[in-house]
Amino acid sequence: MLRSGGLTPAPMKRRLASSLAALLSAAAALSACQGTEDQGPVNLSKGVPVGAVLALTGNANVYGQDQKIGIELSLAALNGAGGVNGKPLSLSIEDGGSAEPSANAAVSLQINRGILALIGPTLSQQSFSAGPIAQRRGVPLVAPSNTATGIPEIGYFISRVSAQSSVIAPLSIAKALQLNPGIRRAAVFYAQDDAYSTAETVIFQQALTAKGLKPVTVQRTQLNDQDFQSQITAALNQKPDLVVLSLQAMDGGNLIRQLRELGYRGAIVVGNGMNTPNIYPICQKYCDGILIAQAYSPELQTPANQRFTAAFAAAQARNPKVSPIPPQLTAQAYTAMQVIGEALARLDRRQPLKGLPLAQARKALMAEILGGTYQTPLGEIRFTPEGEVIQKNFFVAQVRMNAGGKSGRFSLLP
Amino acid sequence: MEGLLQLLFNGLSVGAVYALFALGYTLVFSVLGVINFAHGAIFTMGAYFTYLLIGGAVGANGLLAGLQFPFALPFWLALPLAGIAAAAVALVVERIAFRPLRDRGSDPLLALITSLGAGVILVNLIQLLVGAESYSIPVGTLGSLPAALSIAGAKVRTVQVMLLAISGLLLAALSIWINGSRSGKALQAVSEDPVTAQLLGINSARVIQIAFGISGFLAGMAGGLVGLSISIAGPYFGIGYGLKGLGVLVLGGLGSVPGAVLGGLIIGLAEACVPADLSGYKDAVSFGFLFLVLLVRPQGLLGRPQANKV
Repeated sequence: MLRSGGLTPAPMKRRLASSLAALLSAAAALSACQGTEDQGPVNLSKGVPVGAVLALTGNANVYGQDQKIGIELSLAALNGAGGVNGKPLSLSIEDGGSAEPSANAAVSLQINRGILALIGPTLSQQSFSAGPIAQRRGVPLVAPSNTATGIPEIGYFISRVSAQSSVIAPLSIAKALQLNPGIRRAAVFYAQDDAYSTAETVIFQQALTAKGLKPVTVQRTQLNDQDFQSQITAALNQKPDLVVLSLQAMDGGNLIRQLRELGYRGAIVVGNGMNTPNIYPICQKYCDGILIAQAYSPELQTPANQRFTAAFAAAQARNPKVSPIPPQLTAQAYTAMQVIGEALARLDRRQPLKGLPLAQARKALMAEILGGTYQTPLGEIRFTPEGEVIQKNFFVAQVRMNAGGKSGRFSLLP
Repeated sequence: MEGLLQLLFNGLSVGAVYALFALGYTLVFSVLGVINFAHGAIFTMGAYFTYLLIGGAVGANGLLAGLQFPFALPFWLALPLAGIAAAAVALVVERIAFRPLRDRGSDPLLALITSLGAGVILVNLIQLLVGAESYSIPVGTLGSLPAALSIAGAKVRTVQVMLLAISGLLLAALSIWINGSRSGKALQAVSEDPVTAQLLGINSARVIQIAFGISGFLAGMAGGLVGLSISIAGPYFGIGYGLKGLGVLVLGGLGSVPGAVLGGLIIGLAEACVPADLSGYKDAVSFGFLFLVLLVRPQGLLGRPQANKV
């Protein structure tokens, strides 16, 4: 009988042993390195370090682009007003792609850089995966656009400025029924492999049922689907007069275009995933008339929002093809950066950041974030002890496309 | 009857794209015995070329931000030109990723990796130049044609009918070329036995270039057509089609042109047959079907069994 490893020659055994030892040493060195980073003082040499992980590539890139503008505008506003008590904020943005592994890698990279707080990731699905990393490492993570149920519940260090679907989604259903009380048959579409979509469709379906409208069909898609002919023709066989979508911008925009091309003329309600002007080039003239509940209105008359909209318009003036009206995702990302900036300033006044151990600074910052009240473009916001945003104002808008169908706007409904 | 017709339309319109895509794989496989993993990226480039040629502008990101050609070609002209541009890219891929290895007599398996690398580089190049945002070919590009057609009660988007018709035409043209022209017959000879073909005076290197060129042309045309149908979802949108195209290639039989067509249509129809409320699982169903077919016919539907040399 052979002993385990009995056929391995001695030199090979030695090589294996030395390789294993080297591997273990490297792992130990890496973990020690990580520990030192977290326990050393906050590195203020290049400013007060803050990070962001955004979906700048992949099928969610349309959101990340909106968010990047908002974060950079907020950074400019904060630094223009003196930064963190005279120290400028230093922002590093990493592309988290549109999938979970890329978001995990980007979040880990940012944390290892010694940032004090993190904005992102863009998608709920990514936060469910990357949020626990931030939680484990004790880094405040402010989600700017995650609306799925359960995000702040990931842990103490996780909060969000984006109101969850259960608060917003039912408003658009109510508005659709108010505009057309004759609606009787609702068809529902959602992406079954996306955390945001699956969470939001439950809210939509509950809202429909509460209004006495049990969906006549529920069609499941996948995040990367672009051709919906089968699902649409099956849904149209049920003769719906309301279609409710919980999809992301790319697939949702495509579905709307194909839905209209195949002859559907009824009302369309969409969820937060399509809350971006980036849907205009996708569904083009067919975007016209869709209803969407929003957590932000460019028309909100508060000083914070007026400053934000003016800054946005000025920044976009360089590109005449882009709308000067800020989208919700940009406003929310601006707000996330503002929350972190203001909380850092309060913390620094209470406990100067210089010389403060990084882990301690991160923990204290989280307490400051949760304890504050903020005057933001979204209106006044604060947080529950769990990190859920408390926001006063919500709106329902209808997309109005310009003649030619190349651009449009979210027109607020009374 | 109406339901069956609808199902047929749904399946054929998707299957035609898969078939067109898999044909490119097949052509290269037939002459080299390896899969060109850069094919998906060339397909993507075809979509971008079409978009630019019809007068589309590059968005706010990328090195070419704001670029727009000073002309706007009609779609019918832009599509074949995009195919030609994609063919040129395919020739570059052949020159860089395949030929050096072939000249050195390397294991053909290595070409899989170099083509994969070429594909990744191309996708990243697209992103560098035009950004990661999505682009759409404008509604109305097909002129005054209606958005959808109703045939015996079944509804189908006009663009899907176009896609099916153009795919059919391209497939027919390819079959005629392969069976009726000297270069097509040379391709068949090289795919049968490259060494013997060389001894018979056929320039194998030239035939391989032709296979890559046509493969790239088909990929570019397919990319442009899909871009017209469902928009261009960023630089990575060819990857999903690449995976499905591989399935089609294997189902039809590696290296078999009629097999690629049959495989594409069968996968399209299999997806369309998935009940609507389970349509989110259509990929699993189509690949499960592929798995079952391969258990019975490992060489694919129209492939020939590989004889083992002793």
